[in-house]
Amino acid sequence: MDKPVNNRAWFLVLPVLVLVAFSAVIPLMTVVNYSVQDTFGNNQFFWNGLGWFQEVLESDRIHAALGRQLLFSAIILFIEIPLGIFIALNMPKRGFWASLVLVLMALPLLIPWNVVGTIWQVFGRVDIGLLGHTLAALGLDYNYVNDPVDAWATIIVMDVWHWTSLVALLCYAGLQSIPDAYYQAARIDQASRWGVFRFIELPKMRGVLLIAVLLRFMDSFMIYTEPFVVTGGGPGNATTFLSIDLVKMAIGQFDLGPAAAFSLIYFLVILLISWVFYTVMTAQRETL
Amino acid sequence: MRARSLAAGFVIAALLMLGLLAWLILLVPAEDGVREWTGSLNPGGWMAWTFPTALFFWVITALLLAFTWAAIRFPETPRKGVLGILTTRGDRLFISLLGSAFVNLAWLGLGGAPAWGGLLVSLIYAAAVFRWV
Repeated sequence: MDKPVNNRAWFLVLPVLVLVAFSAVIPLMTVVNYSVQDTFGNNQFFWNGLGWFQEVLESDRIHAALGRQLLFSAIILFIEIPLGIFIALNMPKRGFWASLVLVLMALPLLIPWNVVGTIWQVFGRVDIGLLGHTLAALGLDYNYVNDPVDAWATIIVMDVWHWTSLVALLCYAGLQSIPDAYYQAARIDQASRWGVFRFIELPKMRGVLLIAVLLRFMDSFMIYTEPFVVTGGGPGNATTFLSIDLVKMAIGQFDLGPAAAFSLIYFLVILLISWVFYTVMTAQRETL
Repeated sequence: MRARSLAAGFVIAALLMLGLLAWLILLVPAEDGVREWTGSLNPGGWMAWTFPTALFFWVITALLLAFTWAAIRFPETPRKGVLGILTTRGDRLFISLLGSAFVNLAWLGLGGAPAWGGLLVSLIYAAAVFRWV
């Protein structure tokens, strides 16, 4: 890269900037304004300085929600990434079955979040749901409405069902791009199946795996609709993740100040992750 | 010719920004001749503006304008710093601003008083970003 960058083309995105300002920047500015003030309604605001930020940073309730959020993201990454790789390795490489499997794998990704939530909400019910009823018939004491462990299990299985396909499809694309010559060389060297995976397939999937991990982390860190539909954050606060807690605080309790401070911190974390994601993706493109 | 019209455009933008700042200062409510800097700029009005938050966005807008001008006036080559990624001045500004937010939050979370201490740390951080990233 020896040529200086000419940034004048940026002026062409000004119309988009106006639209984004209308739909995102101005609301965000309002949130910033709310985050340093207190209100009792009636659009009257009183200065509170950085008090809400202090409160949010020290709040046990938000620390607990953050803990649950990180635990959730860690668990689903721990399951979905290896499972996605395993499925991708076993998917047919070409022919009719390859096309059929690709379509079947893509199906869960096409379903809207709230529908996924509703499907699992009904599926898990002990009275009418197939899963809940079957587990009860097997003598298992399963009830996601009352039991925190069951609620967590249901939400995790739901997320795995919904999103493992994405990891599998990304890995599949990575695997398909490996030329046959690599496998032929491995056969000549009498490499074991594990050796082929460890030294050919895994290194070649590194790029797509990184994208999969970041995408799944970001999505799961912002998850709202599915757990909200299935458990509503309960039982108690067992499945109250950051976004559910935020909505409770802002709309349920009308605590605009703390909710604004909370959402700004949440926004900054997401912005940081998005930046890392973008940087990693562009760095990868440059090395290709 | 184009360079001149561009410069004129940015001079007008700078004047508008100064005018905006003056207008914001005029909007600050005053009681018995004493300005209440944290008072509402538009009581009961849209977006609940205060002077400190308005100044915050004014500074960011001014920085964006200044960096836009600099990017056009002094074209640059992206460079690789300690992070191992290619960055332009704009990228370094973004890293500085985003990092500063976290620096200030950390300052606040660690019980740091006064609040401007966090600002001071983030200025040092920003200088480091522009030097080494």
